[in-house]
Amino acid sequence: MLSKLSEHGQSAGGPVDGQAPDAWMQVRGLTKHFAGEMALADVGIDVERGRVHGLVGANGAGKSTLIRCLAGVTVADSGRIVVGGEELRQGSPSASEKAGLAFIHQELNLVAHFNVLQNMLLNAPKVTRFGLIDWKRSGVAAEAAAERIGIRFSLQTRVSELSVAERWLVMIGKALIRDAAMIAMDEPTASLSAAESEQLFRIVRDLTAHGVAILYVSHRLDEVLELSDKITVLRDGRLAGQAMRGTLDKKGLIRAIIGHDLGVGQAPRRAVVEKSGTPIFSARGVAWRNAVKDVSFDVYKGEVLALGGLVGAGRTEVAELAYGVKTLDGGHFELNGKPLAVADPAEAVKQGIALVPEERRSQALMLEKSVAYNVNVASLKALRAIRSLPFLSAGKGRSQAEKLVRELKIKTPSTSTRIGGLSGGNQQKAVIARWLNENTKLLILDEPSRGVDIGAREEIHNSIRALARQGVGIIVISSDVEELAVLADRVVVLREGRVTGELVGDEITEPRIIELSYLDQSELQEEAQWQAQ
Amino acid sequence: MASTMSRAGGRLPAARPGSSGKRAALTFVSRYGTIIGLLLMVFFFSLNAPEKFFTTANFLNILSQASLTAIIAAGLTYTLVVGEFDLSIGNVASFVGLVVCGMMAKEHLPIGVSIALALLLGIGIGSLNGVLVTKVRINAVIATIGVGTMLSGIGFAYSSFPIASGVPRDFIMIAVARTFGVPNPVFIMVAVLAVLWIILNKTDIGQKMQAVGSNIEAARLSGIRVDRIKMFAFATAGFCSALTGTLLASLLGSGTLAAADGYLLDAFAAVFLGSATVREGEFHIVGTLVGVLILAVGFNGLSIFGAPTYFQPIFKGGILVLAVGMSALARRYAASA
Repeated sequence: MLSKLSEHGQSAGGPVDGQAPDAWMQVRGLTKHFAGEMALADVGIDVERGRVHGLVGANGAGKSTLIRCLAGVTVADSGRIVVGGEELRQGSPSASEKAGLAFIHQELNLVAHFNVLQNMLLNAPKVTRFGLIDWKRSGVAAEAAAERIGIRFSLQTRVSELSVAERWLVMIGKALIRDAAMIAMDEPTASLSAAESEQLFRIVRDLTAHGVAILYVSHRLDEVLELSDKITVLRDGRLAGQAMRGTLDKKGLIRAIIGHDLGVGQAPRRAVVEKSGTPIFSARGVAWRNAVKDVSFDVYKGEVLALGGLVGAGRTEVAELAYGVKTLDGGHFELNGKPLAVADPAEAVKQGIALVPEERRSQALMLEKSVAYNVNVASLKALRAIRSLPFLSAGKGRSQAEKLVRELKIKTPSTSTRIGGLSGGNQQKAVIARWLNENTKLLILDEPSRGVDIGAREEIHNSIRALARQGVGIIVISSDVEELAVLADRVVVLREGRVTGELVGDEITEPRIIELSYLDQSELQEEAQWQAQ
Repeated sequence: MASTMSRAGGRLPAARPGSSGKRAALTFVSRYGTIIGLLLMVFFFSLNAPEKFFTTANFLNILSQASLTAIIAAGLTYTLVVGEFDLSIGNVASFVGLVVCGMMAKEHLPIGVSIALALLLGIGIGSLNGVLVTKVRINAVIATIGVGTMLSGIGFAYSSFPIASGVPRDFIMIAVARTFGVPNPVFIMVAVLAVLWIILNKTDIGQKMQAVGSNIEAARLSGIRVDRIKMFAFATAGFCSALTGTLLASLLGSGTLAAADGYLLDAFAAVFLGSATVREGEFHIVGTLVGVLILAVGFNGLSIFGAPTYFQPIFKGGILVLAVGMSALARRYAASA
């Protein structure tokens, strides 16, 4: 199989420019309406084998619709897709698969209680003996694929035991077994740590070297710029621009995505916040199983404290411990200088701790409920008509919801709109809005801008800063180093459950955070000394 | 889908008559299909048997029959709102009906005390279901079938014969008597449903119940004590079952083994029919009432037209499948909209 891929790679290595008439995959004039709204308007792209094709755009720009059309999940109103000289029959996932198109979405399509091999071979031809599946011989191709992409865990491992990064590898292996000529990856690094991302990039480069085309969809522009041979920008369903490697920088890309310039790249407001008075919140020698070992830090009034580090460094666990989702094995937390004991989230909320969890859709939103319901659900007591009776005042509920929607600039037709229909950014704003009340003393945000477009992200950052200024303690957890550098006043970096260092003010740069994510401060000093010799 | 909605509030969608017309029609059918069905049935029976069906007496009869089902179905609605099940409701009603008669006939307790104890017993059994589901973490289907089955055995041990002699006349008159010409159970049903509606829609706990049913993890992380909310729903279901059981005993004038077991299927059919009413795929009290009325009108019409007895279970089972099907379709439609 591998040799086959490389043969294709050699044959496909034509010149890459704008709209080559002989491109391997040609999308022409793709148009799609949903409920009267234009999701895609006359979009045309070319994808060459052996190249990385970046696809960027704000949420709602039409990236997902384009991908869904390619995958055969959605049928375009008009337009054609030609793959390898043959017109692709639209609306048939199996036709798309036969044409060599593979898709890896953020919600990885894996059967959790199947092992890796079973997942890789799901719906793929298997070697049978006497009518029974011969797993050993069927697994040969899977083993080869696994080796190629650097899978180090056993193919007998259940998928439910794998990390998100490992599941990505399984999905890529699955695509390779099916002789995929193009793999579309939707926000591949959203849940990956920096090191895992690097591994993914290596795999992407290896795949393209073997002639596989990669359609790389991401909000992380640095990655897209670094990886892509060609970048397509969509805006409001239309083609907003296409650029070859090296012809566009980040600012230009952002301009194309949003249509105007943003304050990204400016030196952030680096006024070092003075640590004054009693910390709002402190962790003292916090420990939990193997994941968190002796973690201590303080959150002061007026600052945004970030927990940096790789996925799996123990950041989310610290948040869950503070919020009572997990129970401490050692150490304690303090709120305004007083020891804090929370047995469950309900208790945490009562004490004034709030959490914006990592997985918006599964952990935070009641998707089929209204915007008003979702922003009000955590402060129902305040919405009672009479405080001592459990009856709610419809008027109070409405006015609170309208106030929150205004304050956080949630774009929605009305507060009674179903929240599931809003974009990721507006959903996330609603989750934050839920905690904007006088009871909240500490707000923990786990990956606050995951899957959020650039415009909404900026607005979310502004809201977080505004809250900090109002005196709410803020802890931000983010795997997006770029985001930490822009947002945080102080970064406490964790590695394998321990604090490796703390960065303040101008020290907060991407390279410094990444360094500390891999090595702790003493190791860094040793390294420096060694280099000096 | 999200991609098209993210710009909502910006510009108006371009007119696409074909799809939006179809969409509007689909929305209408999925919301009001059950109510239209109910009205069509009433219309059909009235047209074909005006002198038997379309009379005040018959309508009161339908309402009276529907009352007991509506009460027990409203309790079941609560457990479904929080994303659980209660398959013990029929057994609880039968058991409580037996015990309430026993308390009066065998133990010679006053009527009021007996009824109060019976309702408490229902709350207790419901709470037991709740503990098994939330604390022991037994799947609700299994836990409630288990409890229900045990109750039928305990009932048998308590009295294998109907308890009829010694049941006071005043107790019987509770469900049999009429006030202003309307059978008493109708008033009781209206009161219970009104209270349950208010709790579900207008109070903290009701909002929390909906949150738990909608996304239990999100509810927990919003600071809602999920287990307590579920306990409340199970206890309410137990209370409603006990009330239906007591009223049935009053109507029958006796406590009889398994007398109320059949309410389980009726209640499920009604609740699922209701979940396809007005709000797509959500369980709610008004919907449940519509579902109960559809069943009651259907049974009434069948018997007026002299349909053979075997047709009743066919109708009941058919309605259940239809109801669950419609509810599933409505939910899928709501999810894709």
